[in-house]
Amino acid sequence: MQGLRRALLALFALGVVFAGLDIALVLLSEHDEHKLATVILGPLIGLSFIGTGVFAWWRRPLNRFGALMLSVGFAWFVAGLTDADSSTLYTLGAYLGPLYIVIVVHMVLAFPTGRLETVSQRAVVIAGYLDVLLVRLPFFLLGGDVSKGLDPPRPDNVFALTDQPDLADVFDYTSMFVGVVILVATVVLLLRKRRAATPPQRRAQAPMLWTGLTLIALFGVNLALEVAGAPGGAVDGFGLAVLVCFAILPFAFLAGLLRSRYSRAGAVGELIERLNAPIETPRTLRDALADALGDRSLKLVYWRESAGHYVTFDGRRVEPPEPGWDRAITEVRAPDREGGSGQGRLIGAIIHDASLGEESGLVRAAAASAALALDNERLEAELHARLEDLRSSRTRLMEVSMFERRRLERDLHDGAQQRLVALSLQLGLARRKLEVDPATAGRLLDAARDELGRALEELREFARGIHPAVLTDRGLGPALEALAERTPVPVDLCEMPPERLPAPVEAAAYFVVAESLTNIARYAGAHRASVKVARADGYAVVEVADDGVGGADPAAGSGLRGLADRVAALDGRLEIHSPPGAGTLVRARVPCA
Amino acid sequence: MRVVLADDSLLLREGVARLLEEAGLEVVAQSGDAEDLLRKVGAHKPDVAVVDVRMPPTHTDEGLRAAAEIRERFPAVGVLVLSQYIEEAYAMELLSSDASGVGYLLKDRVADLDRFVDAVRRVGEGGSALDPEVVSRLLGRRRETDPLAEISPREREVLQLMAEGRSNHAIANELVVTERAVEKHVTSIFTKLNLPPTADDHRRVLAVLTFLRSGD
Repeated sequence: MQGLRRALLALFALGVVFAGLDIALVLLSEHDEHKLATVILGPLIGLSFIGTGVFAWWRRPLNRFGALMLSVGFAWFVAGLTDADSSTLYTLGAYLGPLYIVIVVHMVLAFPTGRLETVSQRAVVIAGYLDVLLVRLPFFLLGGDVSKGLDPPRPDNVFALTDQPDLADVFDYTSMFVGVVILVATVVLLLRKRRAATPPQRRAQAPMLWTGLTLIALFGVNLALEVAGAPGGAVDGFGLAVLVCFAILPFAFLAGLLRSRYSRAGAVGELIERLNAPIETPRTLRDALADALGDRSLKLVYWRESAGHYVTFDGRRVEPPEPGWDRAITEVRAPDREGGSGQGRLIGAIIHDASLGEESGLVRAAAASAALALDNERLEAELHARLEDLRSSRTRLMEVSMFERRRLERDLHDGAQQRLVALSLQLGLARRKLEVDPATAGRLLDAARDELGRALEELREFARGIHPAVLTDRGLGPALEALAERTPVPVDLCEMPPERLPAPVEAAAYFVVAESLTNIARYAGAHRASVKVARADGYAVVEVADDGVGGADPAAGSGLRGLADRVAALDGRLEIHSPPGAGTLVRARVPCA
Repeated sequence: MRVVLADDSLLLREGVARLLEEAGLEVVAQSGDAEDLLRKVGAHKPDVAVVDVRMPPTHTDEGLRAAAEIRERFPAVGVLVLSQYIEEAYAMELLSSDASGVGYLLKDRVADLDRFVDAVRRVGEGGSALDPEVVSRLLGRRRETDPLAEISPREREVLQLMAEGRSNHAIANELVVTERAVEKHVTSIFTKLNLPPTADDHRRVLAVLTFLRSGD
């Protein structure tokens, strides 16, 4: 960065030197008819291009546009050599003079990316260079008359090898004619380019485009007049208009810069173009941003609203880097409804080199233009993340369900089944005693009846543990009331939805409350608990709060984890707030249309 | 006949103990877990140990492993394993090497007092007792070429009881036929299944079971 800045400063200094030489040449010139205009406009135009070019190059090192502007400036000074009285310098200036016009054509066509995008653009520019450098060469070699009857006469043509001015003029006129064609073609290409641009691109390109277009048109008319052999005065008048227009060009560029944050026009313009192009690879957006911002290490992360953290494109969770020495993060937000640029919903973030932070405006502009594409990718990342979630929660659900089944099986075998075996044994014994010892048989039958009662009670509890019948029959409210009655801690049922919810939502809500109340009764040391089930924004929100000791750790027990998975299976989320000493709040949010 | 009982449910243990004592057997010790059981079997050298499959600490197959250990360390002690559910694999593990002095019954069978006591006695005397459910399942297996297809319904009944570990005498009583008739059926079955004839009851069980298992 430092080296580039120094080199650019050196180039600008060189430009200043050239400007000085130009002024000296004009002042000493014996044949310049418009010394005042030339001495002001000449250095001004050259330095404007060089200065603007240096600035553009500095701000957009990857974009060749700055280099093109610089070239125009230097070519302009070369053209200024025609003010020299030395024949050699004059002839060189006369030969290379029109070169700056070709570079202007090149520059205007390559605006704003610095690259020629189409074959016809490239063809026109190459034809221009050939026309100026090759087609005109024989004119000088054949001893063409560089003065063309101008008064005072110009210095001699030092390139002349022979003296055939008439033949030489053929090449001169050919070259001028080709030049007119090229300039007309350029106007057509510029208009075509404007038609192809999107409205924001058009807005961004407008000052440069219109000035360039006018300038090229004037060049063309000027040249056409010359070819047609119009009177010198008309050509001169036109020439002045061209000069003024030409002088305006770099300022048009600067105006665009100031008006539409155009230091980013290149970057963001390129970006917009790439974003509009058909997607080539899945990583195009990242690459486009990396190119536009000149940061190869750039990374994109996507915000997962439902989980409250960033994920990669593959859906893996990532922590954004702490703002520090080398990495910086720029948030990308959706444009808000009013079309402002500020506080829309968070989409993702660009993680980039901290040095880009100096150009935070550039990064923000790039972020703003990439918002839509990033949002699209975010959806895909979200999908990946959900698949990932689903995979892991499915595994956990399977583990939990295995564990649950095993517990149920054990409860059945060791509880009710055991009692029933004992019962059948007692009945067998009673049957034996029936005739020989009726009193004992009676006692055995009483014991058997008690045993049967306990077995039935155990079976009821067991069935409720699998799925409480009252939940299916009467809904969440009555089921939670029954649950609250069986909890040893007083439970307030604050709020219940008046209508039935979808069965999976009711079941999830029921088990969230059941598990929470069990935990409260066992561990919380609470005096009261409260339960609330409400619907809001397409969610069913279940809250169980207590005034106990807090400090519940969701990672510690399988119960809360199992709940989280049960809730996650419905695309919901379970939050546990349990600061030590300040009670526990369990909140589940489950989508519920 | 001396018995050691092992079951972690006190209720059931007491019930079974009472039942066995009323039937004239002597319950010399009771225990609630496998370790205690092994100690008491070692101390009392009973004729038979009646063992629940599931016991502390893991409530999985402690009883089964204890049974295997008893058979290895105290071959003279018969082991009758009671289980809440039927697993053929468990039965086969128990009977794999030697069917003498081994039993495997569904726990529910204790309600049929006489048959249960009979099974305990049989195992205590070195015979075998295999739950009818296990035998039915073995008989019910699908086979590609089924030699059992040639067996008559009556022979099938005899085969079932034989596999459960009953003696000819018991089978004759159960089916209300003469022992002579049972012997005839047994000979016929062995011929049809191409098994070497054997007089010994528990060898007979093992041969039949081996046949039934290898049938598929």
